[in-house]
Amino acid sequence: MTKSPTITFPDMTRRGLGALPWIAAAGVLAYAFFVGGYLTTVMSFALIYVVFVTGLNVFMGYAGQVSFGHNAFAALSGYTSAYLTTSHGFAPLPAFGAGLALALSCALIVGYPTLRLKGHYLAMATLAIGLIVYEVAVEWTSVTQGYMGISGIPPIGIAGYEITSERGQLAFLTVIVALATLVSWRIRESRFGRALSAVAGSEDAARALGISASRYKLSAFLASAAFAALAGSLFVHVVGFVSPEVYGLHMVVLAFTMLYVGGIGTIAGPFVGAVIISLLPEMFRQFKDYQDLAYGAALILLLIYAPRGLSTISSLFRRAAAKKAVVS
Amino acid sequence: MSLLELQNVTQRFGGLVAVDDVSATIAQGGVTAVIGPNGAGKTTLFNAISGFRTPSAGRVVFGGVDITGMAPERIAAIGLVRTFQLVQLFGELTAMENVKVGCHLHTRGDLLAAILRSPATRRSERQVEDDARKLLDFVGLTDVADVAASSLPYGQQRLLEIARALAAQPKLLLLDEPAAGLNSGETARLSATIREIAARGTTVLLIEHDMKLVMSTADRVIVLDFGRKIAEGTPDEVRDNPAVIAAYLGMPEGAA
Amino acid sequence: MDLSYLPQIALSGIGIGCIYGLIGIGFCVIYNASGIVNFAQGAFVMLGGMITHTMLHRYGVPMIASAAIAIAAVSLAGIVIERVVVRPLWNRNATMFVMILATLAAQIVIERSTLIVAGDQPRTLPAFTDLPPMMLGGLAVSYQFLWIVAASLATVAALALFFKTTLVGKAMRACAINREAAALQGIPVSRMLALSFALSAALGAIAGILITPTQYTAFNVGVPFAINGFIAAIVGGFGRPLGAFVGGIMLGLAQAIAIVVFGAGFKNVAALSVLLLFLFVRPSGIFGSAK
Ligand SMILES: Nc1ncnc2c1ncn2[C@@H]1O[C@H](COP(=O)(O)OP(=O)(O)OP(=O)(O)O)[C@@H](O)[C@H]1O
Ligand SMILES: [Mg+2]
Repeated sequence: MTKSPTITFPDMTRRGLGALPWIAAAGVLAYAFFVGGYLTTVMSFALIYVVFVTGLNVFMGYAGQVSFGHNAFAALSGYTSAYLTTSHGFAPLPAFGAGLALALSCALIVGYPTLRLKGHYLAMATLAIGLIVYEVAVEWTSVTQGYMGISGIPPIGIAGYEITSERGQLAFLTVIVALATLVSWRIRESRFGRALSAVAGSEDAARALGISASRYKLSAFLASAAFAALAGSLFVHVVGFVSPEVYGLHMVVLAFTMLYVGGIGTIAGPFVGAVIISLLPEMFRQFKDYQDLAYGAALILLLIYAPRGLSTISSLFRRAAAKKAVVS
Repeated sequence: MSLLELQNVTQRFGGLVAVDDVSATIAQGGVTAVIGPNGAGKTTLFNAISGFRTPSAGRVVFGGVDITGMAPERIAAIGLVRTFQLVQLFGELTAMENVKVGCHLHTRGDLLAAILRSPATRRSERQVEDDARKLLDFVGLTDVADVAASSLPYGQQRLLEIARALAAQPKLLLLDEPAAGLNSGETARLSATIREIAARGTTVLLIEHDMKLVMSTADRVIVLDFGRKIAEGTPDEVRDNPAVIAAYLGMPEGAA
Repeated sequence: MDLSYLPQIALSGIGIGCIYGLIGIGFCVIYNASGIVNFAQGAFVMLGGMITHTMLHRYGVPMIASAAIAIAAVSLAGIVIERVVVRPLWNRNATMFVMILATLAAQIVIERSTLIVAGDQPRTLPAFTDLPPMMLGGLAVSYQFLWIVAASLATVAALALFFKTTLVGKAMRACAINREAAALQGIPVSRMLALSFALSAALGAIAGILITPTQYTAFNVGVPFAINGFIAAIVGGFGRPLGAFVGGIMLGLAQAIAIVVFGAGFKNVAALSVLLLFLFVRPSGIFGSAK
């Protein structure tokens, strides 16, 4: 038995460092709110992506699964919102309700057979689901208007009050993101979250302890699909327009880049990653053409050299401390 | 009363019969060891019992319930929990969190409970925390509670896996070579820990190669060779059994 | 729907199916050597067509030489991807998912670089034999179709010969059967990895060069080709090169039929549905998977 002293020194530093990415990202958000203008729009996009990536993080970061197809659920809900509000006079909230229901039903139907797959089969099946929804959005012109897209979608509003100002929208999205992050945090710190981590760590060991791996994978899939659906609907109301490209493959790659920059499996990761990745192209406006190229290259470099992302600086400390404790 | 009953359990892999018509009865209480040379079919038998592989033939009855071919998680839910020959920890989680996962079966609440986090949920979380701490204490891992499981030395990983299995409060605990990779001091401690587990009312079935551990820990011993049960009895009886000696010396049975 | 078009469309289905088959074989070659699924496979197809076009039109190199240069250049690109992206991850024991994501990112990097260098206009290549299609019964058979089928079959045959008779080919097959055992036998497994990338890049380039005269190529054609190639590989039982080729032809035919029945717009949905169907019901493909 190794006797080790309890770790005291890095605790404070660790907390401080752990809060750093949060503070920086929240600072940018506050700045955008007061400055207004174009930065507000950029941050609104970022916050919508935070919701999407937070969902992806539950499924991939917590439960250790793989999905290249969550854009499908964003598209299903987003198009439902757009269609019902523009063609049938629905208010945004009930339209979103319908979109969410559709996205979750589809997630349930495809989730069951899909989640039995592993490795590249799982990756490819989810990719196919995303692509099928994309193709249908392009081809089903009577509802989606194909490449032209649907425009004139009303802004978010509840009971007659519409949020039309950019600042108002940013404030609203901030509340949504705060709630989404809270949910993500509570999931992490719960029996449910532990079961997901167990499935991620070893399905066999989880099952030997009475955790039904298939059931928890499906639950995580549905939860993350709900986040994706929310993001999809928020997008159409904030922008007022939707086309298939909004939910194309680039949405998936962008979300992955955010997730890896922020730190997969961490609570702050989606927020930090989405803010950084949304700001980058604004800082290098003259390199607009190189944007996707830069994302791709950044993602490769991250995967190789920093697979745990930026918001894990603190846990690197923890690991180092833990190693020391074990050795001593 | 018998807790586990194996009736003619057989497992084939193509032409190979890894477990061959094994019948046995494990009584409630005490420690039973399954021994046998490498490749004798011990782990395969454990897989058949714990639901990780449906036996080709035969039945497994646990606490009066036929569990043959039942899913592992359902078998665990009725009180049969196993560990693995190659340690299967949740490496990213701390030792503490690993044991908390073990508490899954006797706590409640899923996604909704996690989001709402009601006072009842909080209370149950505190209970889990307490239980987990006690179990870490029991196996002597209190000091490394907050260390990631993957950075623990091998011997501690083995103990952690046992603590995690105990957190599920099993009636029957299956341990697959718990002493593999332990030094002699650690093995002696492990022997005491296993006796203590049995003393607290959990029946233990363990696979082990370390004869000293078997002799000092087990009440009964079952011997497998080439998938067949060749002997069963107390450690002393088995040690003197000519068929067992032959199997371990690698001679054909008749020649002994 | 008009069924009289069916044979004609089926014919073009077989043509494009050969292309899918070649791409599918590319997936298998890398997978067998390393267990990696290379999602940048489509980039090779796109680069094959684009580089040939550039050689031909910008530098006036004769067609056959342009094609040869393109195949060589794309093989080199395959080795570069292996060195820069795959090898570092491989050395770090990256998970299958990370590997897939990284190769997908590589696909995007290549795609976007091509966009910056070559612009977004679609280009096409002249048909290899500039003659009007032959009429066989009521069927119009274009010379490019014949080129596609003949060149694909020749490529598959050459590949089979390579694996059967050459030392390197045999070594690669040994890796496919058991990497650890192959390493113990002294086969340089990591060099086989680089070689498999070069080989499968060459296959992709050949596919791209063959198909471009019948349609067009542009910076963004890679992903759809890669997906169809992957489907071909799944249908044929992942890891079986010949199965992938047959799978490709079956996929081409299925798409052709879908075009007749549902209209051209839904051919991708049809292909993707075939994929899901196989993944859900028979993930080992029609011939059973290689491992
Ligand atoms: N999934 C499988 N497929 C095919 N053969 C298997 C499989 N699992 C085990 N075997 C074979 O069954 C036999 C019994 O293996 P098993 O692992 O049960 O032995 P064991 O007694 O646990 O040995 P050890 O002491 O080495 O752990 C061996 O010959 C093994 O190769
Ligand atoms: Mg064993």
